[in-house]
Amino acid sequence: MDLLWTISTALLLCSLLSILWKESDRRRNRNCYLLDFVCYKPSDDRKLSTELCSDIIARNKRLSVPDYKFLLKAVVNSGISEETYGPRSIIEGREECPTHDDCVDEVDDCMYRTLDQLFLRTGVSPIDVDVLVVNVSMFAPSPSLTSRIVNRYSMREDVKTFSLAGMGCSASPIAIDLVNNIFKTRKRTLAVVVTSESIAPNWYCGTDKSMMLGNCLFRSGGCSFMLTNDPSLRHRAKMSLKCLVRAHIGADDDAYSCAIQKEDDEGRVGFHLSKSLPKAAVRAFAENLQRLAPKVLPVGELALYAVRGLRHRLWRSKEAKTDAATAARVNFKSGVDHFCLHTGGAAVIDAVGRALGLAKYDVEPARMTLHRWGNTSASSLWYVLGYMEAKKRLRRKDRVLMLSFGAGFKCNSCLWEVLRDLNDGGAWEDCIRAYPPQTLVNPFMEKFRWVKEA
Amino acid sequence: MPGAPLPEFSSSVKLKYVKLGYQYLVNNFVTLLLIPVMAAVYLELARMGSEEIMGLWRSLHLHLIHILCSFFVIVFAATVYLTSRPQPVYLVDYACFKPPSTCRVPFSTFMEHTRLISSDEKSVRFQMRILERSGLGEETSLPPANHYIPPRPTMEASRAEAQLVIFSAIDDLVRKTGLRLKDIDILVVNCSLFSPTPSLSAMIINKYKLRGNVRSFNLSGMGCSAGLISVDLARDLLRVHRRSNALVVSTEIITPNFYAGNQRSMLLPNCLFRMGAAAILLSNRRRDARRAKYRLVHVVRTHKGADDRAYRCVYQEEDAEGHSGISLSKDLMAIAGEALKSNITTIGPLVLPMSEQLLFFLTLVGRKLINPKWKPYIPDFKLAFEHFCIHAGGRAVIDELQKNLELSAEHVEASRMTLHRFGNTSSSSLWYELNYIESKGRMRRGDRVWQIGFGSGFKCNSAVWKCLRAVKPPVDGPWSDCIDRYPVDVPEVVSL
Repeated sequence: MDLLWTISTALLLCSLLSILWKESDRRRNRNCYLLDFVCYKPSDDRKLSTELCSDIIARNKRLSVPDYKFLLKAVVNSGISEETYGPRSIIEGREECPTHDDCVDEVDDCMYRTLDQLFLRTGVSPIDVDVLVVNVSMFAPSPSLTSRIVNRYSMREDVKTFSLAGMGCSASPIAIDLVNNIFKTRKRTLAVVVTSESIAPNWYCGTDKSMMLGNCLFRSGGCSFMLTNDPSLRHRAKMSLKCLVRAHIGADDDAYSCAIQKEDDEGRVGFHLSKSLPKAAVRAFAENLQRLAPKVLPVGELALYAVRGLRHRLWRSKEAKTDAATAARVNFKSGVDHFCLHTGGAAVIDAVGRALGLAKYDVEPARMTLHRWGNTSASSLWYVLGYMEAKKRLRRKDRVLMLSFGAGFKCNSCLWEVLRDLNDGGAWEDCIRAYPPQTLVNPFMEKFRWVKEA
Repeated sequence: MPGAPLPEFSSSVKLKYVKLGYQYLVNNFVTLLLIPVMAAVYLELARMGSEEIMGLWRSLHLHLIHILCSFFVIVFAATVYLTSRPQPVYLVDYACFKPPSTCRVPFSTFMEHTRLISSDEKSVRFQMRILERSGLGEETSLPPANHYIPPRPTMEASRAEAQLVIFSAIDDLVRKTGLRLKDIDILVVNCSLFSPTPSLSAMIINKYKLRGNVRSFNLSGMGCSAGLISVDLARDLLRVHRRSNALVVSTEIITPNFYAGNQRSMLLPNCLFRMGAAAILLSNRRRDARRAKYRLVHVVRTHKGADDRAYRCVYQEEDAEGHSGISLSKDLMAIAGEALKSNITTIGPLVLPMSEQLLFFLTLVGRKLINPKWKPYIPDFKLAFEHFCIHAGGRAVIDELQKNLELSAEHVEASRMTLHRFGNTSSSSLWYELNYIESKGRMRRGDRVWQIGFGSGFKCNSAVWKCLRAVKPPVDGPWSDCIDRYPVDVPEVVSL
């Protein structure tokens, strides 16, 4: 009788223990760690000075003088420095008819340089990679870019590859979302993500103003990063993913068509940016923040927001002239220490900074990234992160918010927690000491002063 | 003679029964072992008589509490086991795009257009020879832009084709399943050769006003096997998110990919690729399990990109005159065979019955240790699957696979007839083939289906589905008006 009793008790204990073990195992393996990231630094012969930009624009004989001035004005006032990079085919004069090899070489250079460095720095062999994701929005050859990488690094046969395309400037969080979901279904998985953009095949050679801005603002850039959910690699990881929010307002026709690749009236393909883009950005931003705030902010701040909102509503009739700035507003800095904002343009960064109530110090990484690298599309967030790391701003337990916008229209964000003090120079190594510069004004403003007077 | 190959006994009737007996024995080994044990227990109990049995029972001193505890523990353990298993993924239903008859391209139309577009007589004759041996029929379709002379591959026309094929398939799916599009949680779209910004997934979100928190992914450049990659991704997402459903859209947009040059290796896609699309609804909700058609059992992906030959066999490049096209190498069949073998080594142990695995293992051991001249044993996949959907990449691919897997003509009928009626519709072809099998009334409950896709990279992807409810014809789909005419005899060469 005692034996039976003992056996029953033992079995019960075993079941309880197994449940506890399963739960703790699940929690341990649920994390998504960022092991390392490498930003792409093209060779110096690909630097685009304002003069060179001006020459390239002038090559398009279809442009009238006012159009030429408009474009030059955009370049000069963009907040972009003389140190940004462009694709070789455009610099060498083949912008109107790039060959397939030009396009492939542009992306290959970015992918292979960053991946070589990434594997070297992490000490991980390409054979150990389980998941590979590449996102390049505007170029998808056959075989896919993931296949190019698998071939070059002789990866395993059962590697899971995903080649995302068409997902715009906010594709980085989308790739992270994909990997994060796969991590929840398998243990001890290693993922490599490459994010870049292809400029060579997408140069617009027409005269539609709404499509010409893309030519002026986009620059070459990219990033490769490695993620894992293996708890044994936690001590080597830089950051851990806390939450990720994706908001898509493509259901609204205006939002869908505000940033769209299409043909102009003469049949030339370009990237059209409409006047309703800021409005769509605001809506997507608001929708994202609505879902992000409860996950990111401490309970106290949320409660305060609720109280302020209630008070604002109840007392609105009494205080007729309520300043928009004092209306109920959430202080994101209570839950986030650093902000990686997509470098879509100076106006975008400033607008987002104002909306989140950020100081000059907080938007400095984004502004400096725009200055040094231009708008590198989906990889811009990583250059901003690189700036923060090079400036030794990232300390253990700091929280970093990545926020980006993209065609569709989407606003995606993700929150990371820094796991250890970070101080790699990365792509900023050779120039971080010069930042922030005394002035962001284009040195050729004098030369092109006539542009402002036009 | 020592080196003589073993004489062919397989046609002998006696061997057939030996084989059957062996399979029965191995596959039901545990049951067969249990029968004598149970018989012995029964005989022992019968011998002991009821008095002795009651005495034995009382001597155990089983109190109620023990019984309850044991019962509780067993139920508890069973619950823990059941809840820790991955959530099943169901295929509720799917719909394929049925091209309008205005898009039909009979041989005569195709050849006339080719003669008017191309100035090179040799390449015109070459395309005619391909068409004659292609296995395509007279009812395949090309998009409206390709009916112009020369074709007009503008971005607007490409988007129009995408809207036509994708929206038709989704509308059909909504009609069949009563799906409320606002309920879609996950959207995965794959289209290899056309990836505008915003993506096709954004286009679908815009048209059908999907929710703002839908998880959308747009895969591109992944070739003809991308349909199964999308299913794999949807499955992983459905394993993570409970009570969700996923819409998977597989298509290939033909408009921007017309090859305007004369290089032979690049002319094949012009001749073989045709318009098509499929929309598939996957779900892990319990209420959908009742009305679902299939359950996803396995997805296995194999990537041979590490091998340079395999990587280069389907390659997009520019010819000497600067025309962009996809070049197919002569090694394509051999590479497809090798990729399939790699895929089989992973999927075989998951699906083959024990009898085949044992034979394969013994032959392998024998070849390694005893005599390397033994023929490698090709497992009989007909024991594991009732239906096969082989990507209708071209007649040669289907022939190669039929030979490799030792399949009968009926097994590959779905693939051949899909190639004949719809052409090579790339990633959606597997769904047209599945629809053929259903339309013929061959799909019964419990049947297992093997979908095999090949694509650039070089990849070979497999999916295994199990049928949950019999599908009775007539089946609403792209075959509904022509299934009675099939199967047709597709001659080796159609003389044009």
